[in-house]
This record gives sequence, structure tokens and C-alpha cells, in this order.
Amino acid sequence: MTVRTALRLVVVLESLTIAVLLVNLATAHVDWVAGIVGPVHGTAYLAVIALVLATPGSSRRARWLAAIPVAGGWLSLRELDRL
Amino acid sequence: MNVVLLSIHVLAAIVFIGPVTVAASMFAPRARAALDAGGPDPVLETLHRITRVYAVAGIAVPVFGIATGSAMGVLGETWLVVSMILTAVAAVILAGAVLPGQTAVLAAVGTDAETRSTAMPLARRLSMVTGIFALTWAVVVVLMIARPGSTTGA
Repeated sequence: MTVRTALRLVVVLESLTIAVLLVNLATAHVDWVAGIVGPVHGTAYLAVIALVLATPGSSRRARWLAAIPVAGGWLSLRELDRL
Repeated sequence: MNVVLLSIHVLAAIVFIGPVTVAASMFAPRARAALDAGGPDPVLETLHRITRVYAVAGIAVPVFGIATGSAMGVLGETWLVVSMILTAVAAVILAGAVLPGQTAVLAAVGTDAETRSTAMPLARRLSMVTGIFALTWAVVVVLMIARPGSTTGA
């Protein structure tokens, strides 16, 4: 698996987990869902940053974009694909 | 929920940080041998890959650790603060010295004799920083086990 493939997977995971967290917040508000999915989302967020930093030849712009919560992964991917 | 969070935290530490420690410690001596021998070394590349991939996966360990500590209401305790600082030190050593060191040594493996000999001190330094990394997180593990109120009685 290349760095880019791993990045795509983690970006999807980051979006899925934030969706679960927001839906949970708006509806049932189950404590353990937030407790378990929250750290998964946090890990995914940091992993996106790490993977963009680990991408050979990633631009400064892509690196900064990666740090934006929620949308950063997608913006960074788009930037990297353009390079 | 505490049980689930703590289980994921410990499992992630074993499964992710373990391979990083083993692969990084095997990398350094093998790198010196490869620099001596001269040819390319696919095993060395695999060891670097294991170190790199599991280092990223290892991000889960401190994240779930903080979540566990927060859920248990112990985040402010001294042993935990010391552990977090040491974890941060270990992360900086891994991301700032071990991984870049491995990349630099790998780039020299399989090149001409002169480049290889200039990379030799780098490979020796890699042994040292890898050892410090392993030691740092071993201390964190001991702090996690011997914390105040631990069932070990420590």
C-alpha cells in the first residue's frame, strides 16, 4: 500500500467518524459512542497530518491544509493529486 | 467504556509500538552490515517500512491513552503528566531522528564506497537514538504499571 492509498483510507475514516459523532450528538447522544468514536476520529486526524508529511514531495500548502479539522484531509488530497 | 478505551490503548501499544521498537533496533546493525558489504538490501527497506507504517498507526496509542485518562479523571496526576511528556519525547525522537536517520542511511546503501563510508557514522548514531527511543517508552510502560493506586501495590 502506498502512502497515497493509506492517506485516502484515513481521510475517509476521518469523515465517517466525524459524521457518526455529529449524528450521535444531534440524536441519541449515547455517551460510549462519543467516548470510543471520538479517539478514533482524533487518531485519524493526526494520521492524516503524519501521512501528508510522509508523502514525498508534498507542498507546504498541502501540509498546512492537512491540519484543518474535518475538511483538511480532502483539501490536502486534492492538492497532492494536483502536484 | 473505560475498559474498552484502556483495552484499545494497551492493545495498540503492543501491536503498533512493539514492531516499531523491534524493526528499528534490527535496522541499525543491519544498516552497518549493508554499508560494509556495498550491495542493495531489500530487508533493510522492509525494516524501514515497518518502522514508518507502524509509527503512523502508533498515533492511536497516545490518543486513546488521553481518552482513557480523561474518562477515568486522572489526567492531572503527576505520573501521567510525566508519562505524557516522556511519550512526547519518544515521539520526537522517532519522527525527528530515527525515521529521517533510516531514510538517510537507506539512500547511501548500494552507492559508491565513499558515500557509504560517510553514512557509517549516521548508522552508528542510529543505533544510539533507537536505543534511547526504546528506553524512553519502556520507562513510560513502567510508570503506567507502577502508578499510585496500582493493584501491584507499588
